[in-house]
Amino acid sequence: MTNISLKDIYIRFFRIGTLLLGGGYVILPLLQSEIAEKYDCITDDNVCEYYAISQSLPGVIAINTAVFVGYKLARTKGALAAITGMVTPAFLSIILLANLLTQIVHVPFVQNIFLGVGIGVLALLFQAVNEMWKKSIVDKGAFLIFLASFTALIAFKVFPIYIVISGIILGVIIGFIRSRRGAEK
Amino acid sequence: MIFWQLFWNFLNIGIFAFGGGYATLPFLYHISETYNWYTFDELSNMIAVSSITPGPIGINMATYAGFKTSGLTGSIIATVSIVLPSLIFAVLISKALKKFRENIYVKSIIYVLKPLGCGLLSAVGVNMFINDFLSKNINIYNIIFLTILIFISLRKRLNPLFYLGVAAIYGVLAGMLHFI
Repeated sequence: MTNISLKDIYIRFFRIGTLLLGGGYVILPLLQSEIAEKYDCITDDNVCEYYAISQSLPGVIAINTAVFVGYKLARTKGALAAITGMVTPAFLSIILLANLLTQIVHVPFVQNIFLGVGIGVLALLFQAVNEMWKKSIVDKGAFLIFLASFTALIAFKVFPIYIVISGIILGVIIGFIRSRRGAEK
Repeated sequence: MIFWQLFWNFLNIGIFAFGGGYATLPFLYHISETYNWYTFDELSNMIAVSSITPGPIGINMATYAGFKTSGLTGSIIATVSIVLPSLIFAVLISKALKKFRENIYVKSIIYVLKPLGCGLLSAVGVNMFINDFLSKNINIYNIIFLTILIFISLRKRLNPLFYLGVAAIYGVLAGMLHFI
């Protein structure tokens, strides 16, 4: 049994945060090896459940998962230690790189790199949209919601928060209808 | 004043961005249109840098945007405020995880928010395509290169590092051969 100390939680999440390169896809195996194998009170199943629920909560998924794990280990203090550990490597690397970039961004060689990378980013966004599409467009209704939010942002430049709030209201209405239907049966 | 706006905007991202790192983009895009903190061009660089640095992409982008806005203080404020809602929400529902997951209202809201988030990200993608690609460096080589990358992404899901690495090399080569 590993001793649960806040320092230990911080270090483990610092390590996970450092290894999270290029998207959150690797977080699940990392959590299993760094957390589930090391702490008795958290199993592989727990980790999977935390990750699944984190995806249905707002905010950064990796952070949500960190809160669940940290909270389970040592309540709010543990959650804070986990978040801080997860954020530190991201924060430090950006600060260092952003500083460096502002100094070298005018060098022609660097500008060429960024022109190329700009095209890579487009492909990256395409892949992200494609992944989301596969998981979300499950029926005609979902497709209509997709069209509505796409148009609202691109054509009418509606504040994204208002679009999401409208979505939540619509979700509540659908939930109400579904629960009524369930009750009738 | 700017710190308060920064706090408020990133707190809102933490509350309303569903669907992970890239889901924060529509909000960051909206910020670039509303305030003069960073330009839409810089947003593309932000995505690139955030995808190749350690840590969750959402956090990287928040730190970067905060840094662009007002240096180190800005990056701390942006990072703390995007994380704060996660802390509150996740601690609150920690006690009733299963109930939360099986609640019909939660399920219905997720059913709506998933395609909605997909629509928002597509809109940003299309805007970025128009702004960064069509109106700037449109030439046959770039079109072919983008088409190849997209074709690869349809066949296999690859790490962002792959796209950006290949794209960086392409940029260097294109610069040397003067066709970018």
